[in-house]
Amino acid sequence: MGASEAVARMLTLVPWLLERPGASVAETASAFGVSEAVIRSDLGHLDFCGLPGLGGGDVFEVHLEDDRIVLNMIHELRRPMRLTPAEALRLVLTLDAASRSMGDELPALATALGKVRAAAGVPDGAVVTVHEHDDQIATSLRRALGSGHRVAFDYVGRADGVPRRRRVDPWQLDVTDEGWYLRGHDVDAGAERSFRLDRMRSLAVTDEVRDHEPPELPLAAPSYPDGNVGTTVRLRLGPTARWIAERLSLDAREEVGDDLVVSFRTDALPWVAELVRTARGEAVVLAPHELGRMVARTAVVGLERHEAG
Amino acid sequence: MSKVERLVNLTVALLDARRPRTFAELRASTGYWQQDDAESARRMFERDKDELRRLGVPIETVSLDAFDTETGYVIDRDRYEMPTVDLDRDEVAALAIALRVTNRSQERLALGKLAAMAPDPGAATTPETDLAVHVADEPPEELTRAVFERRRLRFAYSGAGGEASRRDLEPYGIVRRRGRSYVVGRDRDREALRAFRVDRIVGQPEVVGDRDAFEVPADADLVAQVRGPVSGAVDLELRVSPAAAWAVEARGGTREGAADAPSGWTRHVVRGVDRGRCVSWLLALVPDVVVDGPAEVRDEVVAALRRLADVTAS
Repeated sequence: MGASEAVARMLTLVPWLLERPGASVAETASAFGVSEAVIRSDLGHLDFCGLPGLGGGDVFEVHLEDDRIVLNMIHELRRPMRLTPAEALRLVLTLDAASRSMGDELPALATALGKVRAAAGVPDGAVVTVHEHDDQIATSLRRALGSGHRVAFDYVGRADGVPRRRRVDPWQLDVTDEGWYLRGHDVDAGAERSFRLDRMRSLAVTDEVRDHEPPELPLAAPSYPDGNVGTTVRLRLGPTARWIAERLSLDAREEVGDDLVVSFRTDALPWVAELVRTARGEAVVLAPHELGRMVARTAVVGLERHEAG
Repeated sequence: MSKVERLVNLTVALLDARRPRTFAELRASTGYWQQDDAESARRMFERDKDELRRLGVPIETVSLDAFDTETGYVIDRDRYEMPTVDLDRDEVAALAIALRVTNRSQERLALGKLAAMAPDPGAATTPETDLAVHVADEPPEELTRAVFERRRLRFAYSGAGGEASRRDLEPYGIVRRRGRSYVVGRDRDREALRAFRVDRIVGQPEVVGDRDAFEVPADADLVAQVRGPVSGAVDLELRVSPAAAWAVEARGGTREGAADAPSGWTRHVVRGVDRGRCVSWLLALVPDVVVDGPAEVRDEVVAALRRLADVTAS
């Protein structure tokens, strides 16, 4: 473990302990999310700190008796250090995500968030997260997670043309940089699946109790999309279609004149065809032929339908 | 002698100082940086100082004479110490539950700073394991500092087409959308509100000037900048196949009249959509929608389909 990390913790540990004389090693470790051995090591270092003779300073006194901690003579570090901007940003983002889904259950979170913003020096409106889904869906899902009930919703997977009704035993909500996901057991598929909240419609919490329990929580961070399956696609992207490359997890990219040639794998050709249409001719399908034909056919049929009036 | 102790004691020495301390004074009072080689002692001191600054310890450098030959170091207690956060028991408990979802020690430490002087939550807090927050991409520290302290920011930026430019920004805020961070503010050279993708900033952004150098206008719409230009609202008149009806209705479209037998196609109106942005959405739904109006949107969709048909035919 790095010395930096230990120093950062100790500068917070000291005021925390000064406020709580007689705190146990176990509760201190739990409050800081570290092992008891780490707390003991911190206390060992502190015992060697303090500067006698400097403007009234003294050697720090660390007493550890029957697992109870008492600190003395550490008045220089009596208050915690300010949050750094990065800490404050992470804190506000996390609390904002949490209050969107748990706000109903934790009314004190809203007032706490306001105080944290003020103390951390985060001006109002300086950090905004745009959520593409309906907050009501996240709230309903949390209720279902809490009560252990099955949910049902209309869902358009990337490979689907139309929504299908899904029945899912919910396990966990994942808030990632890419958006919000529900993970759980898809009753009809008979397997674990992830669902984007912004692709769900008409969510209902059913009366049925879930009968597939999750593996041990929390589940590890999800990885999307699953890039190891499906067909290999190659596209040539003109200057105004480069944004497409940013929506994909690429296997290769090559600059060809002003254009960018990319290749990637997908299990959702209809979705790629949508992206290509949206680029209005600035994205050209190099492979597979099937995808090129799909784009051409929809363009021709679309034109005919418009011109038929 | 351990590095941890050296760094803690350097913090203590500078917090305790009533006036800036020179390197020589700090050496004498702490007993550290005693190498025979003065150069390497000095380098070690500089490294220690930088490491503390990275942790957020506000070590200031002060010139002690007119010729800049003697440098002193000090920590301003007001800048170091967390202001009082008046949290009650319920609020501390709510924060503990909300932060437990990230399951990372950084957030525990931040909570420790906030709650060090606050009462402990009364009841034991139950761990919430069914919500997991994964925050991966974070803007650079200097950018975040500039936003929070209302300072100007200069940076090199690489645009969507790869073109490079220098920007001078009054950063109003950080907006996160679809896995990306944007910094939005007033571009001083263009005298307009602009959004910049943080991952396209080249190198380290530079914070310039004083705190509170600008005010954020009340009508600055940061999210709209990130979503893209708005070109005016129109009411779309569409013919829609049964396969696309759900998508049009999900976007707020309402059905007008009965379905056409036997095709099942329906007429829908979608009110108040952005004229520029709706074209991409419509192209994604083609050939399951036909645009009847307004004429300008219809023409744009038809022109795009013609280009697509030409490109794929060649």
